[in-house]
Amino acid sequence: MVKVADIERALEPTWCPGCGNHMMWKALKEVIEESGMGFEDYAMVWGIGCHGNGADFYRSQGFHGLHGRALPVATGIALSNPSLKVIVSMGDGDGYGIGGNHFIHSVRRNIDMMAIYHNNQIYGLTTGQASPTSDQFMQTPSTPGGVVEEPVNPVGVAIAQGATFVARGFAGDVDHLKSLYRQALDHHGFSLVDVYQPCVTWNKINTFKWFRDRVYKLEELDGYDPSDRTMAFETSMSTFHELTCAPDECKVPIGVFYREEETFTYQDGLPQLDRPMWKHAEEPRDISEILETY
Amino acid sequence: MPLPQKGSELRVKIGGAAGLGIKAAGQTLARAFVNAGLEVFDLTEYPSLIRGGHNTYTLRVSPRPISSHVETVDVLIAFDRQTVDKHLDEVIDGGAVIFDPEVTSTDGWLPSNRIRPVPVPLKKFAKEAGGPIMANTVALGAALGLVHFPLDTLAESIAAQFAHKAEEITEQNIAAATVGHGYVSKMAGDFWMKVEGLPDAPRRVLVDGNEAVGLGALAAGIGFYAAYPMTPASSLLHFMAAHERDAGVVVKHTEDELAAMNMVAGAAFTGARSMCATSGGGFALMTEAFGMAGVSESAVVVGVFTRPGPATGMPTWTEQSDLRYVIHAGQGEFPRVVLAPGDQTDAFDLSWKAFNLADQLQTPVIILGDSYLSDNRQSVPYFDLDAVMVDRGKLVAEGDVADHPDALGEDGDYLRYKVADDGVSLRVLPGVKGATQLINSYEHDEYGWGQNGEIAAERTAQNEKRMRKLQLARKLVPPPAVFGADVAEADVAVLFFGTTKGPVLEAMRWLEPDGVKVAAMQVVTVWPFPADDVREFLGAAKRTVIVEGNYTGQLQGLVREQCLVDVDDTLHRYDGRPFSPEMVYAKLKEVADNG
Ligand SMILES: Cc1ncc(C[n+]2csc(CCOP(=O)(O)OP(=O)(O)O)c2C)c(N)n1
Ligand code: SF4
Repeated sequence: MVKVADIERALEPTWCPGCGNHMMWKALKEVIEESGMGFEDYAMVWGIGCHGNGADFYRSQGFHGLHGRALPVATGIALSNPSLKVIVSMGDGDGYGIGGNHFIHSVRRNIDMMAIYHNNQIYGLTTGQASPTSDQFMQTPSTPGGVVEEPVNPVGVAIAQGATFVARGFAGDVDHLKSLYRQALDHHGFSLVDVYQPCVTWNKINTFKWFRDRVYKLEELDGYDPSDRTMAFETSMSTFHELTCAPDECKVPIGVFYREEETFTYQDGLPQLDRPMWKHAEEPRDISEILETY
Repeated sequence: MPLPQKGSELRVKIGGAAGLGIKAAGQTLARAFVNAGLEVFDLTEYPSLIRGGHNTYTLRVSPRPISSHVETVDVLIAFDRQTVDKHLDEVIDGGAVIFDPEVTSTDGWLPSNRIRPVPVPLKKFAKEAGGPIMANTVALGAALGLVHFPLDTLAESIAAQFAHKAEEITEQNIAAATVGHGYVSKMAGDFWMKVEGLPDAPRRVLVDGNEAVGLGALAAGIGFYAAYPMTPASSLLHFMAAHERDAGVVVKHTEDELAAMNMVAGAAFTGARSMCATSGGGFALMTEAFGMAGVSESAVVVGVFTRPGPATGMPTWTEQSDLRYVIHAGQGEFPRVVLAPGDQTDAFDLSWKAFNLADQLQTPVIILGDSYLSDNRQSVPYFDLDAVMVDRGKLVAEGDVADHPDALGEDGDYLRYKVADDGVSLRVLPGVKGATQLINSYEHDEYGWGQNGEIAAERTAQNEKRMRKLQLARKLVPPPAVFGADVAEADVAVLFFGTTKGPVLEAMRWLEPDGVKVAAMQVVTVWPFPADDVREFLGAAKRTVIVEGNYTGQLQGLVREQCLVDVDDTLHRYDGRPFSPEMVYAKLKEVADNG
């Protein structure tokens, strides 16, 4: 069984001091330890960005893929070895921008895997350009006049697209984040955890303080029912346009927005995926019967 | 005319609007001839339209081996007037045209003393048999009646074609063929052409190139196939999907080509033999992940089936213009292998071999084909299944990584990218105990860590390690194939790659009676380029020609660059059509005569 200390490599994370990535790192390591998995039981997949540099800081079976393409790599892993749990780590530019198409399709496929988005609402590694989740009117080097378009609403998109587990976390609350990770890991199906991960270097608007003043937990909300898709969708919309309003006017919900039990996953639809696919290549496959038909 | 003697083989062309089932009908006919022991080669030409437009299907049938289509036909089956207008010139003197006088007007082309008109009330007979859509089946029967060929093998292949439909449909179609056959047999008593089966001929398989590649992949134990449809690769996706359950393959139609290539890399990480395929335009989207497969040392197979480009180009036509693209695709430098099958037999053999090479070299392997290979069917000897072997290279699938101390670093961690003399490190699958590893698209150190990949010495070591695979590849890849006369004694030597093989071999057979000796070399592995073999071949030749289906002379450029030699003459084609043996014959004869 993997211990936190096993996951840590000799390298200390090189993220900026105070970056939200540090807290997300801590939360995930601890959840992996608590899950009781061994290194042979799971694989991690990374996109490109500051978040993706985490690939160097977690000892694991890992695949550090391309910018925006972590989900398809993860899909290839999940659909060729059913015994591996797949954990995917992405950024907002990475996963919602360049990889937006894969995001939509991965959600609708309901492949059994866990997708974590480091949503810092900015491009960190390429020095602070606007990302698809940057607030409207935010000024960045690529948008000196302010972002013109609306931000992507990943939680809303996922719910609309039929996601079976959608949660949002905040890097500033590690214990809460851990509970989301734990539930996501246990979920049978595609689980999305969008995490507000303040970038202390480039995003001067959505800071830790900004979130601390605004976040509230859905599970503490009276009458919130995460099995109610309509309620989940409405809740995802309620804050969508209001991220730059005053703290007392708008709040940012975190927690499990939506969860569907007993889901039919993509893997469930593949009876041929009854073993790791490498086992088919231990010797030549006998195709004589198939060949007879040609 | 350099054709085989009139009457020694049969060429039938069927033409009409898209949606009439011309290809399906033609393929049923082809199956009947193969079942009767004859060799066939078929060619489907169609514009990128589902309904309307002009489609043709050409079938060449011979008791002797054949390897391409030809430009002329003996029998034209015209489902519309357009077919007559477009293809009457291709009918040889004394040939026949089967048509329905109710549908195809005869103004301006009949009467003719050059061709024999065979009017058949196709539509009327079809209606009587069960429905007008069976007009094509009536025509098949008519064509066989014309060449004095018995109906029974056609009836068998109709039964096979409709096996999954209601029995009634089979019966109606056989009835339709029977009327056509009977009607024409009576009126065609004196037609000069007689086709006879060869009852003792060995069994043949009738496949198109994509089916051959797919069968090779299945035999090799493929576990994961991902693709986004693009002509002419789409039919391989259909083939794989059709066999996903019985063979045990996960087949994914992805959201785009980027996903396909990335998924395949992910599947390769788990040790599944994995493949994607596309055409040039789709490969353009895959290229970034193709490079990732190179730097991450992922064992993947990629089919690239070319059509004329650039961009959307000519979707349903053929060209050999992506040679340079595939051997250079990707930024930076990394090793890859590119195999170019020339026909169905090559396609099967190179397909299963591609998976071994990918595993042995831990780098991407491309199968480079084109529409002429993908879309057209040829009867070939039963594939050599006994020859198929699985070589997974340096791979540990189960157990404990501690049992492989050579692959562990000082700290006991597994070195996925350990520097090795042959460029290939021990590969350990996820699931093996203790094998933490980072597969990386970034440059990396021996563990896979990206940070250390920026250290100059680490970068140099990893880059050199990867590039050394090309030396190993040279020992493992299939060598060039040679055909015909000994090059030192030949009047002309011809060099080619890919599907020009069929027309070249055909032209060589036609040149034999002319007394022209031809030596031919097929570059089977186009990368790493077999420079020594090619240099030696061309150096020993009197006159040299390169035949290739592109404008810029991509193979010729490679020969210059890699061998420091040039050839005397070239033959190019880039109008979307495949080379015909007639064209190649004329060129080789010209070069030989002037030599
Ligand atoms: C195809 C491609 N385009 C651009 C880049 C450059 N690039 C690297 S990281 C990045 C954006 C990172 O932003 P985000 O995904 O939000 O991650 P963060 O760095 O904020 O964690 C970009 C554009 C790349 N690596 N690949
Ligand atoms: S740039 Fe931002 S996201 Fe990147 S490490 Fe620094 S604080 Fe974190």
